[in-house]
Amino acid sequence: MASPQLARPERADLTRAIVDLVDDETILVSGIGNASFDLRAIAGERPLNFYMLGSMGQAISIGLGLALAQPERPVVVMEGEGSVLLNMSALATIGMQAPPNLTLVIWDNEQWQITGGQTLSTATSCNLAAVARGCGLASAATPGDVEEFAQSLRFALDAPGPHAIVVKIAPTPSLPPQRDDPVAIKLNFMAALGVEPD
Amino acid sequence: MTSGGWREAIVAALKQNDIKLVCHVADTVLAPIIRMLEADSDVHVVTLTREEEGVGLLTGAYMGGIRGALMLQASGFGNILNSLGSLAIPYQIPFPIIMSARGGFLEHNVVQVAWGKSAPAAAELLGMQAFAMTHPEDVPFIATQAMRHAYVSRRPTLLTIETQLSGGKTGG
Repeated sequence: MASPQLARPERADLTRAIVDLVDDETILVSGIGNASFDLRAIAGERPLNFYMLGSMGQAISIGLGLALAQPERPVVVMEGEGSVLLNMSALATIGMQAPPNLTLVIWDNEQWQITGGQTLSTATSCNLAAVARGCGLASAATPGDVEEFAQSLRFALDAPGPHAIVVKIAPTPSLPPQRDDPVAIKLNFMAALGVEPD
Repeated sequence: MTSGGWREAIVAALKQNDIKLVCHVADTVLAPIIRMLEADSDVHVVTLTREEEGVGLLTGAYMGGIRGALMLQASGFGNILNSLGSLAIPYQIPFPIIMSARGGFLEHNVVQVAWGKSAPAAAELLGMQAFAMTHPEDVPFIATQAMRHAYVSRRPTLLTIETQLSGGKTGG
């Protein structure tokens, strides 16, 4: 069990590939836990990043709302498989709304790594790419390494979506969380979008 | 005011507050309002799969410059609590939640009572305000101002359609 997982790509390398590939107009949304810890560590200075601090599962729904409100911008969501399983109903809503500018990147280490490695259904029985296809997303790729991942992301950014990219990743330990202020995250992100808050 | 007038008043209040996105898990009380909104080319209506998605969706839409509202039945309010507490409230995301408040006058189904009666108290425990719409003649004022309250207070605000107003599930 451990050795094939260790051969898998690392979240940090994949997150860096996203940051390197997207342009300055692209919105990046990261879900709770590792997705946000990694994005902040790798590209914390990037103005169009939105970090979620709680509300497990909601990153893909936040991405849907942003994709509908900002149809000219690509929106890329990074989210763990545990969170997608928790809010799996949102895949059906995303398929129905079908925003062409939305890409969901799903990190799948087949466990709740951050809470002690409890095994999830993606380790045994649940195929999230098949779920995404079944919900009507335009494509669902399953790249096996960083290079294939970059190809999948380039395709997703060019072709009308919504797209899912489900990557089996190594169960790399988390970076330490950073103390943060949700209102500051929101205000900085809205300022970068040029939207005036109430 | 005609018997259906309070529904038109809710639609007018949404428009007065510049709300252009409405997401919902419907019930029979909300259905005529949703039909009116679907016929309105200025409003985008999203049929959710589960209510909690609406909190994330409206958070993204608001930050992207589009004001939205969430419509649900009282049971659905029970399904959104964590995302209110750990997303919309701490990030200060304003939107009205328009709730069909089963469980009161003429309720025939006992399971509707718990959330129909406790949703306003739960909202207040979370630090939100709840405003009840009970009499048709009060709806234009309450709906417009309660929605405005969401933007002034920078947090979700609950508006309940009480069963005295709607007649409950079996009413017109």
